[in-house]
Amino acid sequence: MSAIGAVGAITAITANATTAPVEVERPDLAQRSATDTPWIVVVWNDPVNLMSYVVLVLQKLFGYSREKATRMMLAVHHEGRAVVRDGSREQCEADVARLHAHGLWATMEHPS
Amino acid sequence: MCSFEPAEVAVLRQIPELLRARYLPDSPAGLEPGGPPDPVRDRLFPRAYLDPTEESAEQEWRSTVHPELLRDRLDGLDRMLATLDGAVPKGRRLRVALDPAEVEGWIAVCNDARLTLGTLLRVTDESDYSQIDPASPHAAERAVYSWLTGLQGGLIEAMLATLPLDGADD
Repeated sequence: MSAIGAVGAITAITANATTAPVEVERPDLAQRSATDTPWIVVVWNDPVNLMSYVVLVLQKLFGYSREKATRMMLAVHHEGRAVVRDGSREQCEADVARLHAHGLWATMEHPS
Repeated sequence: MCSFEPAEVAVLRQIPELLRARYLPDSPAGLEPGGPPDPVRDRLFPRAYLDPTEESAEQEWRSTVHPELLRDRLDGLDRMLATLDGAVPKGRRLRVALDPAEVEGWIAVCNDARLTLGTLLRVTDESDYSQIDPASPHAAERAVYSWLTGLQGGLIEAMLATLPLDGADD
């Protein structure tokens, strides 16, 4: 469901509210089932990979803009690691495999 | 279009052999946990999960992903050698024409070669191989690493120029 659809549903709920208060969830959390906890993909800094290469791979694999890919690359470079994607376990496992195929050092974890 | 000295093509031809030896385990036990540590293999075939409680997910992921990763890498070496076989002499130099897929293939092989040499040389962010003393240990490896860095950098710039600045979500 798109974000617009979720907001529309929340508006409909509040319009029909009775005396009981309605707990409004953030649209993205409302989409997730209790068992589908989010995972994040982390790219780690390494001294071999060129900064330009990290930008190229992030753009090519994930369709990010040059600006977003560059910001992520700089976060990897300056902070030692950065989150580049999030999703289900299966999605993140596939993303990590593709990043490894391009020689980037990537792992996946639950966000803290 | 890339242009090389014959000596540079000779170096490029050695890269696939170097990498094939690193991609393939020395023994059937090479891929099993508990074998001798191999920092180059660990860097070329890293873990997906660092959390030790996810070890069974890690092994399942490795069993599906690593054979395909290995196959794709071996195919990439063959394709790179094929482009070198197509080199055309131009005066003293050799010209190699690469289409975009071949440029990506060369970038991947250069990157794996640099990861291999870089791990063996223990390069750091501060490593500077712009001036290499021929008498120093590993001078040849440092020179090849430095040269591959320049080559890969040029190929990356060519690929970046073909990508849009906007993202898919913009």
